[in-house]
Amino acid sequence: MKGAEFLVKALEHEGVEIIFGYPGGAIMPVYDALLDSKIRHILVRHEQAAALAADGYARATGKVGVCMATSGPGATNLVTGIANAYMDSVPMVAITGQVATSLMGTDAFQEVDIFGITLPVVKHSFLAKTAAELPRIVHEAFRIARSGRPGPVLIDLPKDIANTVAEYEFHEDDASEEIADPSKESITRALALMRESRNPVVYAGGGIGMGNALDEFRAFIETTRIPVVATLKGLGALPTTHEFAMGMMGMHGTRTANHAVQTCDLLLCVGARFDDRATGRLNAFAPNAKVIHLDVDRAEVGKLRRADVPVIGNLRHALKALTCKLGNIEPWRRECTASKETHAWDYAAPGTEVYAPGFLKSLSDRAGDDSIVACDVGQHQMWVAQHFHFNRPSQHLSSGGLGTMGYGLPAAIGAQLAFPNATVINVSGDGSIMMNLQELATLRRYDLPVKIVLFDNRALGMVRQWQELFHDKRYSEVDLSDNPDFCRVAESMGIPAFRVEDRADVSGAIDRLLAEPGPVLAHVLIHQEANVWPIVGPGRSNSEMLHQHEVAREVAP
Amino acid sequence: MNKFTLQLRVKHSEGALVRILGVTRRRRFDLLHLTVDTTEDGHFLDVQMTVQADRAENTLVRQIEKLEDVSLVEVVEPDLAATERRAARSTAR
Repeated sequence: MKGAEFLVKALEHEGVEIIFGYPGGAIMPVYDALLDSKIRHILVRHEQAAALAADGYARATGKVGVCMATSGPGATNLVTGIANAYMDSVPMVAITGQVATSLMGTDAFQEVDIFGITLPVVKHSFLAKTAAELPRIVHEAFRIARSGRPGPVLIDLPKDIANTVAEYEFHEDDASEEIADPSKESITRALALMRESRNPVVYAGGGIGMGNALDEFRAFIETTRIPVVATLKGLGALPTTHEFAMGMMGMHGTRTANHAVQTCDLLLCVGARFDDRATGRLNAFAPNAKVIHLDVDRAEVGKLRRADVPVIGNLRHALKALTCKLGNIEPWRRECTASKETHAWDYAAPGTEVYAPGFLKSLSDRAGDDSIVACDVGQHQMWVAQHFHFNRPSQHLSSGGLGTMGYGLPAAIGAQLAFPNATVINVSGDGSIMMNLQELATLRRYDLPVKIVLFDNRALGMVRQWQELFHDKRYSEVDLSDNPDFCRVAESMGIPAFRVEDRADVSGAIDRLLAEPGPVLAHVLIHQEANVWPIVGPGRSNSEMLHQHEVAREVAP
Repeated sequence: MNKFTLQLRVKHSEGALVRILGVTRRRRFDLLHLTVDTTEDGHFLDVQMTVQADRAENTLVRQIEKLEDVSLVEVVEPDLAATERRAARSTAR
């Protein structure tokens, strides 16, 4: 049996059902072995999309996503997707072909040191040196990718190792994946702070969903009745329509969420990492709050904000241990809930053009509770976070840490393959869609019924917004008025498409999107100067939110 | 500036030392001094490094602890005698 067959057999043993990839010279032995395997291979049209699709698959399912490419440019094209998974702690195994061992270090054709290139963006990596060790390497790679704080793991496989004939030795696991419980002392101290507090807030992050702690988290919130603000990745930890959910915090957070955090006396950070987009100016963030920080990753605690009580370890057990009734917070919680009602989103924008937040709200209301939204990066991404309702975090696939334009379409492909019957929606922009546009061909090839909503403002909207607000309207390289005709592009790749230009047509457009049995693209024109509100300016405190009505505008909306 | 010395034991695996040095640089710690010895059985590296930064020790220690092949991280007093012996040896050469 050859090394490549070892690899495939080991992947089967790990329960891998789908690999996203693209063949080439050095990885050919593995593609040969795949022909005899029950693993399904999805051929994308660019390796970056393979990594991003594996990421979307992993986020939607909680399983390890697998992507594969050949050496050299195939491998370097995976890097953005690997970094994307690293920044958002997504479990992934990336397999790259490598030139033969004897050629490594000689600048051979399609040789690149992918092991070295990816060191800063992987949780761990392996270079296979013998065929016999491949089952162990694969097993270790999957264990590392999904355990503790998840992340991507690289396996670099030289072609001669893939072709070596050896005896397959099945590898049994010995390493434990158990996460240690938080110390009793930390729980006692956290409970004491919670009981003292009059104005506590829970700052909910992506760790809750990834740590499989949704049930424990919800029980904790229902019992303590503490108001919850969410990070981008924490949306859905509590259903976003829940009475205690105050919405997203941070740069484009809700007034209620940011105000609650800025005035609270106790901040319980659950599986989040004080990212700058969430905190605004760090030294002005939650200035009156003591901090309890629950995380599986010790390195995140105290990295940016000192924790009065670190609670390190298994999130489920930590939340269970902290679940108790609190006596003094009801007036505060009512104040938060009232603020949420006072500052509810207003969808009655002036004008007759399509209002993207209103479009997304209507789409959300009608797409069903189990729909999955994969977005790209920019204004539309923030509108999705603000206006879509999520019942669980795995419904919301969004590139948070890396902010990868071009994430949405491949991620939607990954999610749709995992859940063939789910309504999977890709919300994109005219900038982002062009970064992985070629994957429309993948949608067609596998007949994946992804619904694409392409908001087109003929500009790089988020950059344009910053230039307008923070660079004296000095617009630099943000004009995209020479965009192609997106409907014709989609149709040429076999995807039905239609254009939406008027607000009066939105309802019919959503009908058509959701009724289409296969893939479909709605090209939705919006005002070029539509901005995301509210916004906290760069370097500003979350107390200094800018609201639309406070900013003088020459043009609506 | 915060200056301190770490004693590490790491599996002698592909890229082990580069990983440690990479984390050190990425987390904005300056490397001032480094010694590396292979254990007698050849399976591990013993690394002593002195670094400085504006950031707290723990922000580096905890990142290095997370590396898969690192089995020990300790903040230690620098082994000055060993450093001097090495300096003498390199001069003698």
